[in-house]
Amino acid sequence: MEAILDFWAAYSATIAFGLVNSFIALSCYAVLSAGVLSFTTVMFAAVGGFVAAQMIGMFALPPLVAFLFAGVAGGVAAAVIAVIFLRLETHWMALASLALVLITRVVVLNTPTLTGGVQGMLVPVRVSVLELFLALAVTAFVFYRMHNSWYGLVSRAVREDPSVASTMGISTYRVQFIAFLISGAVGGIGGAALATTLQFISADTYFLALAFTMIASTVLGGSFHWFGPIVGAFVFTALPTTMQAVLPEIQDVAKGVVLLVIMILLPRGLVDPRVLKLRLSRSPKTAEQPDA
Amino acid sequence: MHDTPTLLQLRAVAKHFGGVAAVGGLSTTVRKGTVHGLIGPNGAGKTTVINLITGLFHPTDGEILFDGHNLEAKPPHEIAALGISRTYQNVRLFSGMSALEQVLTGCFLKRGSSLFASFAGLPAARRNWEEARAKSLLLLARVGMAGKADVLAETLSYGEQRRIEIARALGSDPKLLLLDEPTAGMNHAESQAIGQLVHELRDSGLTILMVEHNMGLVTEFCDSCTVMNFGKLLAEGTPRSCIDDPEVQAAYFGRKNDAKRIQPVG
Amino acid sequence: MQLFLEQLVNGIALGSLYGLFGIGFGLVFATLGILNTAHGAYASWAAIIGYFAVVWYDVSFPVAIAVGVIGGGVLAILVDQIGFQPLRNRKTGMLGALITSIAFLIILDSLAGMATNHQSWAFPSRTYPRGMLDLGFMRIPYMQLIIIGAMVFCAAGIYLLIQKTRIGAAMRAVGWNAEAASLGGVNARMVILLTAFLAGATSGLAGVLGGAATSNISYMLGEGLLLKGFAAVVVGGYDDVRGTVLAGILLGICEVFIAQYLSTTFRDGFTYILLLTFLVMRPRGIFGSGNFMRA
Repeated sequence: MEAILDFWAAYSATIAFGLVNSFIALSCYAVLSAGVLSFTTVMFAAVGGFVAAQMIGMFALPPLVAFLFAGVAGGVAAAVIAVIFLRLETHWMALASLALVLITRVVVLNTPTLTGGVQGMLVPVRVSVLELFLALAVTAFVFYRMHNSWYGLVSRAVREDPSVASTMGISTYRVQFIAFLISGAVGGIGGAALATTLQFISADTYFLALAFTMIASTVLGGSFHWFGPIVGAFVFTALPTTMQAVLPEIQDVAKGVVLLVIMILLPRGLVDPRVLKLRLSRSPKTAEQPDA
Repeated sequence: MHDTPTLLQLRAVAKHFGGVAAVGGLSTTVRKGTVHGLIGPNGAGKTTVINLITGLFHPTDGEILFDGHNLEAKPPHEIAALGISRTYQNVRLFSGMSALEQVLTGCFLKRGSSLFASFAGLPAARRNWEEARAKSLLLLARVGMAGKADVLAETLSYGEQRRIEIARALGSDPKLLLLDEPTAGMNHAESQAIGQLVHELRDSGLTILMVEHNMGLVTEFCDSCTVMNFGKLLAEGTPRSCIDDPEVQAAYFGRKNDAKRIQPVG
Repeated sequence: MQLFLEQLVNGIALGSLYGLFGIGFGLVFATLGILNTAHGAYASWAAIIGYFAVVWYDVSFPVAIAVGVIGGGVLAILVDQIGFQPLRNRKTGMLGALITSIAFLIILDSLAGMATNHQSWAFPSRTYPRGMLDLGFMRIPYMQLIIIGAMVFCAAGIYLLIQKTRIGAAMRAVGWNAEAASLGGVNARMVILLTAFLAGATSGLAGVLGGAATSNISYMLGEGLLLKGFAAVVVGGYDDVRGTVLAGILLGICEVFIAQYLSTTFRDGFTYILLLTFLVMRPRGIFGSGNFMRA
């Protein structure tokens, strides 16, 4: 029992951040799985984070209720961004979304009445690990249902080959617009989760470090299945903690090296449904059946 | 046969890339319920014509009429919704999907449900999904791939991938099926099987426009054909009359003047 | 009037740094399809290597520049061959290389932090040209002239290389389609190495010159350049050297004048407002052409 408590004391913070980063990574996955490489999640998270912080500050809402508002706000922001960004060509959109991250920071710094400006904002409530876990479980269930629906199938088609998908009657714009909405809602929740975990947010909370953590978690974990980003978020969050125990001097360097090695060895990430299907393809049951 | 109504009509269609005319004012018609061949030497602009019909490119000039609709400036997914479906010269299946999933994707147009309906598990959505699944398995069987539903498509042979691509194209119940060199890279028996399938599909009421290199197959399986060269119409009519056309002979075999090679093989 | 002119040159020099840095970033993005977040680390390391060369071996400033430039280029080739080469032909698109570049950003930045003890250093004052060119009506620091000259030289050189030479045509071909390019007899590997080297070398040049001019050599140097150089690439269009340079200079001038005549708090804000405007109004940059459609 004591061992469990010790473990909890040492790692509860890591687990909490692993859960928070899972939301952020899922938001990134939501667009990536429809073929859009975008860093806009950082902006959705900022919107969600500051909305949640304001709601909690003004109305003393419980965190999970604030998450709902954050999700809606993130979704609205995403609808606006999607209209602008979906006109852009893929490469250009990636650059533009990175630019949006920089713009978000400037906007946060220059709207002190909404965001506390340079000072940042204190968040008086802290979300518990259990609440985070529940929220993530619900979110993961949504992704699970989507993955096994028409939307999941069609978005994979759009990702793999948008022009072929379009000649099959699939509107790539529509699929990617929905992807942005989902990304916005989940990103907003992630931003609120981050705010209520850190209990202090500022312009630097929602900046490049978050963008890089998010995309690295998603791709590291695997961007072809919803479970990948969650695994990636935990691995990427736990890496520095683990490295600190093993190699405190060069923990950051070691984190980079681990990321590099995993990506070179497993470019499709840790969770790859294709491997499973390949195994299924080669199983004797299907291989022996003759053509009809 | 010439009394059957027109399904697809190209009127002076042109497509320029930069200064180069890939298609330069092509007019032709495809009649309902026929297998129409689109033939011509390499670089004649055949695939460009397919891309123009499916809306991946928009014509620089001229118009394309399909089943009473002008396809001008329509995006590919709207054109597909009107009932045009296609395959690709270099098979373009979706990576990471099983054979069944490929075909299911093709069924989305007619049997798909909205995100909300399928997410909420509404009865209609569930029924759609089951129907699409049954239909996909049927289509796989039809192209001779019944046992391969769960196999990752990219692990299959080229010929098998082509057949899955045809099944995928049939998933949307098209009125017009565009096949871009469906027998490329296939041996004689496989090509014959594809030709047979094309005939069966026509007999079930589908109209087919196929780009084809194999002259034997064209004479054997096409009801009519259009011959292109340098983006322009060279000849039109029955396969036989097209092949006998001296201009076609010249364009195809030019200097060699080897008329024997375009005698039907099959 | 004198102040205005001096500030104008000041802005052009600052913008030249952004442009010089941005050229390589855009070149790698357009030719190799890599969004290289580690591009700033080349600049940091070039400045650090140049600094060590000056302090330990007492070399002259031009030699320090050469060391930094070659160091940046070699580092870029190493990063490419270790981090990007294994991912080519594995259909990871932009994603795989983006992640390995983030890995290198983490590695190189934290190593740079360790190498500099997380402090900001400056070249000893006697080791680089600190004088002013007195034109009578205005005075221009030599360093600013060197920066502007270096940028013009590199931009013109790379522009001519891309537009007028065979290897440049090959670079454009690889950018379009590496597979087709290798079929057409273009040595794709040569193009990749050259592109990586040029990007690293120009980033390194911007790092050494920027580090000297601003007396700020640290692991943060590259990040600052990356943000502004990136803005120059977006405003100017990533596939056009002229656009990047022009946009960089425009950004530099605006920054200096806003800081001078309005307030420093608006300085960064303006850069990104300009960025946003271009994103919405003129996607694909100043010289950008229309979208090309791939079927």
